[in-house]
Amino acid sequence: MNVFEINAEKLTPREINSQIKQASEEYDKIIIRNPNAKHYLSAGVTEDVEIEFDGSVGYFAGCMCEGPKIKINGNAGWFAGDNITGGEVIVEGSAGDGAGQGIYDGTVVVRESVGSRTGEIMKNGTIIIGGNSGFMTGIFMMGGRIIILGDVGDDVAESIIRGVIYVKGEIKSLGHNAKLEELTFEDTLDLEETLTEYDFDIDDYSEFKKIVPESTRPFYGH
Amino acid sequence: MCGIAGIVYKDKKLHNIGNDMTNMLHQLQHRGPDSAGYSIYGGTGLEEDEYILKIQVKESEKLLDKVKDTINFITPIKNDAILPSVGDSFIYKCKISLDRFCELKPLITKVDTIDDVIVINGSHDFEMIKDVGSVLDIAQRYDVRDVKGTHAIGHTRFSTESGVDRYHAHPFQTYIVRDISVVHNGQITNYWKVRDPLERKGHIFETFNDTECLVHYIADKLDTGYSLEEALEQSVEDMDGPFSYIIGTPQGIGIAKDKLGLRPGVMAETDDVFAIASEEVSLREVVDTHHVEQISPGEVMVYEI
Repeated sequence: MNVFEINAEKLTPREINSQIKQASEEYDKIIIRNPNAKHYLSAGVTEDVEIEFDGSVGYFAGCMCEGPKIKINGNAGWFAGDNITGGEVIVEGSAGDGAGQGIYDGTVVVRESVGSRTGEIMKNGTIIIGGNSGFMTGIFMMGGRIIILGDVGDDVAESIIRGVIYVKGEIKSLGHNAKLEELTFEDTLDLEETLTEYDFDIDDYSEFKKIVPESTRPFYGH
Repeated sequence: MCGIAGIVYKDKKLHNIGNDMTNMLHQLQHRGPDSAGYSIYGGTGLEEDEYILKIQVKESEKLLDKVKDTINFITPIKNDAILPSVGDSFIYKCKISLDRFCELKPLITKVDTIDDVIVINGSHDFEMIKDVGSVLDIAQRYDVRDVKGTHAIGHTRFSTESGVDRYHAHPFQTYIVRDISVVHNGQITNYWKVRDPLERKGHIFETFNDTECLVHYIADKLDTGYSLEEALEQSVEDMDGPFSYIIGTPQGIGIAKDKLGLRPGVMAETDDVFAIASEEVSLREVVDTHHVEQISPGEVMVYEI
């Protein structure tokens, strides 16, 4: 494997991203040392390359990418994986608000807990949260899947139009136009396949609750 | 946007906290380029009845003498210094004694009546440093990296609704209760509803800045028997708008975040340090851990020593 290393210690986000873009055309894997929770890292990469951050990243990590498999060995700030159209963003620690916001496709995984508004306005793709997810998870969701292994906060799936949210833990409250639907056998198979692929070990898939839209043409302004 | 940060050393001993807070705020510089400020607690070394005044005085012949005469008429100035600054003014710093804390605000009001003079701060247990410009420039201008203390709060300001000058830089303080200050990221949209009952109780507002109403509100609660945690919890109920803000007191710091979680806040803690900030990039300057906790919508956190 052709590996390129970047020491980000004294580089600005623009300089780091410039090096990542250039290396993504020539190498199979890019390792970024000392990312120091800087913002916008590896934004807009469109090559099928592995990108690994050896530490925490800041806001908008891996945003607007299509293709790369991004692994963050630390935490992420707000909007991890924002608006990706393909590929993966895997956060080994926790993340802030808006994880997977607006994604069109691809997968965003956060192994620990996240803040509020996870998967806001997402159109497709998959978001997996290993811990808890906060207030208004899946707000204005237009498609895709969110899978939460911990608890979820108030007003989950607020004004959801399409898509599905699976929650293994407690649901504090549902938002407008959200309803619980019975989990099917096909759902459990689908969950098992997806979660196994990302190394989550689940004992009992029947514990998941399924949240879907009540109407595809909801009335706004309640 | 604005950036906010707070740090407490749990051992209650003096540390190079001016240096720590400078590093934390420097990492939040992108959140606010207009001004920056600090409240650094625990290192003033003042006697129980002593206070430090910091007064902005316009470069003008005999104006400083008038300021000194006004103060000396009320209480003798024990020692003083002139801190060079930017623009057409300088900071006059002096130490005074007062029999009671409630005499401080009338003294400040008296000094404020002099044209081209503004009292920036009057405190006993904390040093407030704030000015326009970048964090590193301000730190160098006022030798902040040398200031020691037990805990501190700080701010980088992206101004939205009031002027960009030294006086409107954060922190803001109150004279309802001694040594309470605040740094704030966001807006208080029901500002007048919060301000009105406080003014009716006799609390004096100096600006139209929503941050000022926060610090008076919290001090009023503390003055009526609330703990800091209880006061912050009540503020989440009473304040509208997007906000996260940090209060500094002689005992510690506390953060409150609005119910919708529209402004950021993260916390990290070790055996030695409790730290909160707008972003993890700031925490990493003082805490060597990957365990960072997101402060939830409507959540309050307090650490007191």
